[in-house]
Amino acid sequence: MDAHASDAASPVLSLSAVSKAYHNGRARIVLRNVDLALQAGEYVAIMGESGVGKSTLLNLIAGLDHPDGGRIAFEGQDVSAMDDDDATLLRRRAMGFVFQAFHVLPHLSVAQNVALPLRLNDVAHGAADLRVAAMLAEVGLAGRGDERPGVLSGGELQRVAIARALVHRPRLLLADEPTGNLDPDTAAHVLQLLRERIRASGAAAILVTHSARAAATTDRILRLTPDGLVPDAPPTQIGP
Amino acid sequence: MSTLRSLTLTLLAGEIGARPWRALIGVLAIAIGVAMGYAVQLINHAALTEFSRTAGSLMGNADLEIRGPRGGFDETLYPRLARLPEVAAASPVVEVEAWLPAQRQTLKLLGVDVFRAAQVTPGLVGRPAQPDGGRLNLLAPDALFLSPATLAALGLQAGSTLTVQLGLKTVRLRVAGALPALGEGLRLGVMDIGAAQWQLDRLGLLQRIDLRLAPGVDVDAFARTLHDILPAGVVAATPRDTLQGTSSLSRAYRVNLNVLALVALFTGAFLVFSTQALSVLRRRSQLALLRALGMTRRELLRLLLTEGATLGFFGALLGLGLGLMLAAAALRYAGGDLGGGYFDGVRPSLHPEPLATLLFLALGILAATLGSLLPAWEAAHARPAQALKAGDEEVALRRLHIPWSGLATIAAALLLTQAGPVGELPVFGYLAIALLLVGAIIAMPQLAQAVFGRLPLARRLPVQLAFAQLVGAPGRAAIGLAGILASFSLMASMVIMVASFRQSVDDWLGAILPAPLYLRATPGGEAGYFTDAAQQRIVATPGVNRAEFLRTGQLLLDARRPPVALLARQVDPRHPGRRLPLVGLPLVPGPEESAPIWVSEAMVDLYGFRSGRLVALPIAGRSVTFLVAGVWRDYARQYGAVVMQLNDYRRLTHDRRVSDAALWLTPGATPALVAQRLRRQLAGGEQVQYLLPGEIHAVSMSIFDRSFAITYLLEVVAVLVGVIGIAASFSAQALARTREFGVLRHLGVTRRQISAMLALEGGLLALLGVTAGLLLGWAIALILIHVVNPQSFHWSMDLMMPWRSLALLAIALVAAAALTALFSGRRAMSGSAVRAVKEDW
Amino acid sequence: MRRLLPTLLLIGLSAFAAPPAYPPVTADQPMHFPRDHGVHPDYRSEWWYITGWLRTERGDPLGFQVTFFRSRPALDETNPSRFAPKQLLFAHVALSDPATGHLQYEQRGARAGFGLATAAENDTDVRIDNWALRRDAAGLYHARLVTADFTLDLVLNPRQALLLQGENGYSRKGPLPDQASFYYSQPQLVVAGTVTRHGRPERVTGTAWLDHEWASAPLAEQAVGWDWVGLNLDDGGALMALQIRDKTGHRFWAGGSWRHADGSVQHLAPDAIGFQPLRRWTSPRTDAAYPVAMRLQAGGLTLDLAPLMDDQELDSRATTGAVYWEGAVTAQSAGKTVGRGYLELTGYAGRLDY
Repeated sequence: MDAHASDAASPVLSLSAVSKAYHNGRARIVLRNVDLALQAGEYVAIMGESGVGKSTLLNLIAGLDHPDGGRIAFEGQDVSAMDDDDATLLRRRAMGFVFQAFHVLPHLSVAQNVALPLRLNDVAHGAADLRVAAMLAEVGLAGRGDERPGVLSGGELQRVAIARALVHRPRLLLADEPTGNLDPDTAAHVLQLLRERIRASGAAAILVTHSARAAATTDRILRLTPDGLVPDAPPTQIGP
Repeated sequence: MSTLRSLTLTLLAGEIGARPWRALIGVLAIAIGVAMGYAVQLINHAALTEFSRTAGSLMGNADLEIRGPRGGFDETLYPRLARLPEVAAASPVVEVEAWLPAQRQTLKLLGVDVFRAAQVTPGLVGRPAQPDGGRLNLLAPDALFLSPATLAALGLQAGSTLTVQLGLKTVRLRVAGALPALGEGLRLGVMDIGAAQWQLDRLGLLQRIDLRLAPGVDVDAFARTLHDILPAGVVAATPRDTLQGTSSLSRAYRVNLNVLALVALFTGAFLVFSTQALSVLRRRSQLALLRALGMTRRELLRLLLTEGATLGFFGALLGLGLGLMLAAAALRYAGGDLGGGYFDGVRPSLHPEPLATLLFLALGILAATLGSLLPAWEAAHARPAQALKAGDEEVALRRLHIPWSGLATIAAALLLTQAGPVGELPVFGYLAIALLLVGAIIAMPQLAQAVFGRLPLARRLPVQLAFAQLVGAPGRAAIGLAGILASFSLMASMVIMVASFRQSVDDWLGAILPAPLYLRATPGGEAGYFTDAAQQRIVATPGVNRAEFLRTGQLLLDARRPPVALLARQVDPRHPGRRLPLVGLPLVPGPEESAPIWVSEAMVDLYGFRSGRLVALPIAGRSVTFLVAGVWRDYARQYGAVVMQLNDYRRLTHDRRVSDAALWLTPGATPALVAQRLRRQLAGGEQVQYLLPGEIHAVSMSIFDRSFAITYLLEVVAVLVGVIGIAASFSAQALARTREFGVLRHLGVTRRQISAMLALEGGLLALLGVTAGLLLGWAIALILIHVVNPQSFHWSMDLMMPWRSLALLAIALVAAAALTALFSGRRAMSGSAVRAVKEDW
Repeated sequence: MRRLLPTLLLIGLSAFAAPPAYPPVTADQPMHFPRDHGVHPDYRSEWWYITGWLRTERGDPLGFQVTFFRSRPALDETNPSRFAPKQLLFAHVALSDPATGHLQYEQRGARAGFGLATAAENDTDVRIDNWALRRDAAGLYHARLVTADFTLDLVLNPRQALLLQGENGYSRKGPLPDQASFYYSQPQLVVAGTVTRHGRPERVTGTAWLDHEWASAPLAEQAVGWDWVGLNLDDGGALMALQIRDKTGHRFWAGGSWRHADGSVQHLAPDAIGFQPLRRWTSPRTDAAYPVAMRLQAGGLTLDLAPLMDDQELDSRATTGAVYWEGAVTAQSAGKTVGRGYLELTGYAGRLDY
């Protein structure tokens, strides 16, 4: 597979003592003392109360925002020290995103949406087309690449988003409440698909959710508290 | 990079495909600006090319042109110049602007010595129609050679006769051949110089001598030494000077047209700005997604600028086509000067220049790119994490505004109005207008906040909602507001300026036409005149109480400028204001002082002829000192006019002929009756033109309206662009607020209430925009009236506010804004309310 | 005689309101000098025509021609303008140099007036701008003409008496009495002066022939052109011969005179003259075929005329209007050169129009 994935000794992602505060009139501390080590191929859920800073944590990891303290290292590189362009290029090459609100561009076709990361990474058209077709098949949307997002259901839109998140073989996938807008049955299908695809890709992944059911589909569950990330009870104990 | 570029194209095609109307508006706005500018450039270029080609074929290979006033100079100058060792060849020319009574137009007739012209201006040597035997026609006293354009325009051929009016007599000339070497656009006739002096009443006089200098003679140095030899009022001009003179003739007018075209382009750029700003706003989370997926700031900036540039490219392309058509139509129907009256006798044809074409293409692209620069910059620098969430738009809009810079820009604009012209062009005046506009647009959000913040609390729901929107989202309102402000202020300033000008011309005509009947020896040209006997007969005609006579001529004060008009007429030096529309108080010269002259405002600007100064004028080949006793307003002669007393003129020139007469009638006599008597009693009385002040007035005003036709057209364009701008910004706003409407509908607000809210919002916004626009338009009009016009045309005018037109325009714009807001809101509401809420964008 | 010509303005005659009345040429008007050296403005046309052979210091031969024409056009003369074209002046100057191979020439025209183009009535003094031909009180002619290619500055000294052509200067040009001109010649002029070419003056000496002729009648209707020759004979004699051709190429009129070395003049009747072409040269510019070598029979003499060079064609369409051949020739008798002069061949490039 991948040179980094085989290097099991060092974590793909490591956070040490990361903190972040927002200054909105009065400073409000969102994250404090967050530590995390994520190995290649590991799929982790992060749970927590609303407003505890789950999305902020994801944004910091993705380089979309800068921490006030601590260090975030991706494959040994200090993400928190990068400027916007370097962080953007890293994100482009090595990370994938799945959002709660799908964020599928409405006037691009399904295939064009999925192909976006390949385009950004200058993958040649022929190779990109093959890869997109394969990816769509993997998420159960074979042959529907020419359709417009407008005709798709919520579950289908999120499958498109998953395909887009993994199409360029990222080493880290970040999913922010991907089933928040879906009904329970569809959500279960999407979570199963997400897990399968992450496994198949060998990427490390973080699933941010407040749903225990969703968290249960991961390898390990962490809970974000005002004092940092703490391990959660084994998922089997919370199961339905 | 190729795939990234193709990504850009994909996203671009998606965006344009998704909102074709928005793209189309941007394209159209740029197209209109480019079309106006390109058409003006094409027409000017065509006219100037033809003019310089004409000047070239008239000048031949002359190194110097010795030029005098229209009245001419003594012919003995010719042998004196011809004998100078530096002169290789000298060609004397008689020049008459002759009236053709049958064709009712003027024709420039030149008298040349074929033997001399062959050496200097071979293009002026006629080709006799008969192959061999006709050569004597080159010298025959009744033979005339016409340029191809004249032959075609007058429908003449060799052997035809052409009647020319001289004094009140007519002379029949025989068309003996053509002037094939002259440009196809030039209207001109040539005859033998001896014949011309005799037949056209120019005995002893020349208007021009063309010189070819011996090899090695320094033209400029020689021209300077000639200065001492030449009589007063006669100048030596190089072909460069002559060309500069012809092009300076229309330069101010051309520059003004170009500025108007640039205004159109600016409005287009502004439209692109407002549509792009709202489009970027609407796509805020999409763009943030691209950033999250790994698109760098620069790539996103480039993407959005490419969008703008693409609109600009297609707009400019369309504009070039439209401009070409516009120019062709204008040349066909209005002539090369767009009704400005600068290029008489020239029929130009279009020759698109690659460089200018590329320039306007680039200008269109640049305008659209600049229009999208600010929104693109903002989008590229937005925090993607926040932008991915909805409700962040106001933050974005707030960043577009820089407090205080608006007031600073306005202050700078006011300072610039105090600066003088640059190269006789009101560069700083235009700059001040641009800065004023930009400053007002920048200051608009603060104004909106200040005004809407004071709105009272309303009870009724739609009103409450509308006020809340205006107060809560002033940034969004500011975009629509700025559109209204820009278009209405430009419109208003133009309306105010043209109305003021028109009113001033109207008043001026009333002041200069006090008599009930006017006679003119010829409707055009200068070959017509009333002799002493004819003048006495006019005075003696029953019904005529009093007659005042006018003699027109020319003074050449500077080789690089067009000649100044000389008007010798009966003026009472103690009360010159009775005949002249004076600006300021006149001086009354004492009996021992120099004879008085009264000069037009242009003379003050161009020659420094201030009231009270003693100045030298070349009269009848001598330099005579006059006292500038007053300054008067003249809209007829942009290059200056000098009025002197007819008695002084006659004393100095011994020339008693006059060209015009103003008649006051005895009680009971009607102008028509007196005109009828004169027609019978005056020898050649049927050639005389009888003019009633009313007719002159009407003709003058129609000429005025014709020369301002182009500005009216631009006004219409500004209105269109303004309305389209409002429509675009409101539609985009309404679409951006789809979710808001959905929520309101969920809460139980009726469609009607939302419509009322939107109409109110639009109306209030437009009202503020129109009010501010009126103020701004008034300020711009003041700059146009007191800076731009005096500096480019050297005349002043009085401010006149056309309240009726302004009110109508304002009402129309406010109504259009309210309707547009309503209409676009309805469209936004037509989708499912549930879906609008559920969808996160 | 020669040279009837300046065609330009001899045409189109009575087309205009008040055409001038030209005085007729009659046999009963004796010549008076120096008055008749001057201009005769009432007559329709007039010319002073100098042709001759020069030799440079290096011994190279050159031919030259200096001509001033005057014309009174058939136009209304009541025009009071000082520019009225009542008298027109033209001038040609040409140089034949075998080293160049073709004629170098320049021409000018002007209306008389303003002191720029003048012709004096009391003696020969004609000028157009800076081209001038003047006869001084001692009888010497001074010719100075500046062109773009060369400058001629010559003094011509008459060594012999004037030769009045025809009957005391009344020279007939056709069978009718008014087909005539006043015509005198000054052969055997001794020439000294400079020819300046490329800025380099060269001293020259030589022998020339002057004609002065004025007339009112146009060329007879049947005539197409003429052949004229004037020869300074080595023995001091002078020979002029002329024939006017009709459109069949045959002789319509002829005449001439031969002043022998002893000063006696033999007038030549029409049938005493014969021109026989020996060789023709075709102009590459006009396609006209000129008999540049002729056998001349005149009063019992038989002379072979040979050109200094073939291309001596002169195109004066810009001024007087004709294309003709005017060239330096040698006269040979029995293979021996006996004189030098000029041959004029007109009407070969279309009929002369006047």
